[in-house]
Amino acid sequence: MDFSLNEEQRGWQMEARRFAEEEIRPISLARDQIADPKATFDWEIIKKGSQLGFRTLAVPREWGGHEADFVTQALVMAELARGDSSVSKTFSQCWKWSHLIAASCTKDQKERFLKPFIEDDTFVLGKGGTEANAGSDNRMPPENDPKAGWKLRAERRGDEWILNGTKMFIANGSVAKLFFVDARTNPDANIREGSTMFMIPRDTPGFRIGKVFNKRGWRFYQNGELIFEDARVPHANVVGEVNGGVKARATDKSEFGDIELAANALGICDDAVGMAMHFARNYKRAGKLVIDHQLVQLKLNEMYMLTEALRSFVLRTAWERDRKLPDLGNNVLVMNYSQEVVQRVTRANMEIHGPEGCTMHARVDKLVRDAMVWTHLAGDTVQRVKVVKRLPLTTGG
Amino acid sequence: MYNLQLTPEQIEFRDAVRDFVNREVRPAAIDPKRLEPFEKPLMTGFLDQLAQMGLRGLALPEEAGGAGADLLTSCVLLEEIAAGDVDLAMVLGETALLARAVHDAMSDGQRQRWLPKFEANDRYHLSLIARDDDAERGWSYHQAMPAAADIPGTPEVVAERDGNGWVISGLAPFVANAPVAGLFIVQARIADAPGTVTVLIGNDAQGLSIDLELPAFGGGGERARWHHGAVAAVTLNSCRVADDDVLAADAVRRMLQSGLPARRTVQTAAVNIGVARAAYEAAVDYAKMRWQGGRHIVEHQAIGMKLADVAIQLEAARGLTWKAAWVTDHPEAISGRSVNDLPWAVVARTFTAQSLHRATLEAAECFGAMGVMRDMPLQKYVHDTLVLQHAVDCDLAAPLVVAETVAGYSR
Repeated sequence: MDFSLNEEQRGWQMEARRFAEEEIRPISLARDQIADPKATFDWEIIKKGSQLGFRTLAVPREWGGHEADFVTQALVMAELARGDSSVSKTFSQCWKWSHLIAASCTKDQKERFLKPFIEDDTFVLGKGGTEANAGSDNRMPPENDPKAGWKLRAERRGDEWILNGTKMFIANGSVAKLFFVDARTNPDANIREGSTMFMIPRDTPGFRIGKVFNKRGWRFYQNGELIFEDARVPHANVVGEVNGGVKARATDKSEFGDIELAANALGICDDAVGMAMHFARNYKRAGKLVIDHQLVQLKLNEMYMLTEALRSFVLRTAWERDRKLPDLGNNVLVMNYSQEVVQRVTRANMEIHGPEGCTMHARVDKLVRDAMVWTHLAGDTVQRVKVVKRLPLTTGG
Repeated sequence: MYNLQLTPEQIEFRDAVRDFVNREVRPAAIDPKRLEPFEKPLMTGFLDQLAQMGLRGLALPEEAGGAGADLLTSCVLLEEIAAGDVDLAMVLGETALLARAVHDAMSDGQRQRWLPKFEANDRYHLSLIARDDDAERGWSYHQAMPAAADIPGTPEVVAERDGNGWVISGLAPFVANAPVAGLFIVQARIADAPGTVTVLIGNDAQGLSIDLELPAFGGGGERARWHHGAVAAVTLNSCRVADDDVLAADAVRRMLQSGLPARRTVQTAAVNIGVARAAYEAAVDYAKMRWQGGRHIVEHQAIGMKLADVAIQLEAARGLTWKAAWVTDHPEAISGRSVNDLPWAVVARTFTAQSLHRATLEAAECFGAMGVMRDMPLQKYVHDTLVLQHAVDCDLAAPLVVAETVAGYSR
């Protein structure tokens, strides 16, 4: 066994750490505290990060990206998240869909979309699946209800498709220049057989952004409403085949989305551990340093233990993906595990800080709020139930 | 004898408050226009209406115009208010608590002067500025408590003798109910002698000023407001108090030591139950309505189990809190060996805070992504239970008071 990082991995990690410390962290709290959810975003940080390669980290070299391996991606996400979890997510959301472009798109589509994505520091990607009445149903469609899942309708008219419907909570919704959107192309079939994935440039006629959702955590990260009113999309923007949208998504075998959340959580945990240690060593309570209380020593131990266990799980899973080993569920399990860890560690940080009069350290509060997002993203019951099918058959009878 | 039956009067009062809260308070409290902004001004209209229903003078004796409610009744009613809005419950709970305590501590003359003012104005609340000598509780386990003055940053309110009265000066940075208080009960350290003096100061007294409430994010963004109810800093700048408005020293000792902090702690547990109950009721309604996976989500084992767990935690918390309330009013239950000798307020408060924060998160999870949206109430309930988990009477070290009791150890 060898846990050492190679020079390239170490280089990216150091660069991300420096960027997070010098550029992201100084703006993090102020952005979090802007009341208007549309106004929390900061293009300057995106441009600066993009120029350092953080927006295009995962794109293959032949298309002008950095083709960083999964271990590197995990390291970078964790380091950026240490500065601000939602800024890290804004970058990695681009990697997520650049994996898909690389895996599933035609040469023509890559020319039209991947090239401008590489060249433009403000080209951010998004994907729309969720609708008001289609959440869990999209991820685990019920056998007995073929109509379950997204309802956004796409109908062919000559060389174009006409889209009607609304997507909700869509990540990078108000800032992305290109969206991947799931639509029903056969309303009588279930979503696995009756839907198609489209690439939707921001300036598509009949397509607009509605409200930007106002969240408790991850306030920098934009989640928007995508509204389609007779939106006209060329047939050439279909990803994969008509009625093959779910299959097209599945061609991207990276399972990146699962590692992404776990690696991001790791960065929050590192931040929380650092804050708790700093506070415990510098402040007094009842006449002695906070760290001199057994209760705090035990909490710090718990925080370190959970964080290091998460780090091992994240990096092992990324390493397995880099070696294309059989997926025995670790991608999802590490994501589920990260929910427990990030929420426990951020709460422990809060317990160590304690209330000061009638106030709480604002960043301690922010980490707890950011961690709440994991409940529905990384650890909800749909995710937990789904993974069982992938667990090793060799275990048990 | 063990009796969990509320009296017809208690049930009638509870139902009246519940009805008002469901009809008026809750819909206003969870209006997206109120939920989305960081700042949530106290809903003073409802505060006055609840005062008119008798909740401000809830624990005040009947002969003084109050309802004479015991702590259990207060808990039952505070839960109902908190299920609508946590801040209203905290303000009314504090005033009701102090009204009874200060009424007991006042002389007849003081009652005659101050009680009519309290009765005449629905917006006349009470506020206590006093040093809690036990503020750090468990943190000082295994060592003597330092005097409050030795704790860095502890503000000092000081009294200097002046003719037939006192001149009070100092700053109290976080004072519950200060923004709505008509009367302040102020404990001050005597300037050049050992001991303290406790005085009554009206909000119109010369030299008394109340700062603006803390913003949601203050101190250059480094501090987040972390309290419920209405809290502000109070400055006393050479406030002159006549001897008539000095509370008798033994009465003050009785007031501060005969369970005022414990009563507040039990009441806070009841408020916590109200917040978590609101989350629970929202989750049950939603789980019966939301259709995913080919059925109402309540029919999925995963969701059913969450609702069951929340219901169990709520009942366990309520059971402990009601027991703590009863024992606080009936110490003979302990001396007569019916109930174990424990600091029941701390037992109820710490269990309630920990279990109900988790329960509220579980309730929020039933809502999926909508659980974290600021135009929905779930994220607020989660935040409110988190704040309730981090108060002086409920921090990491607070339960150590229980260890001291069971081990017969005293620091």
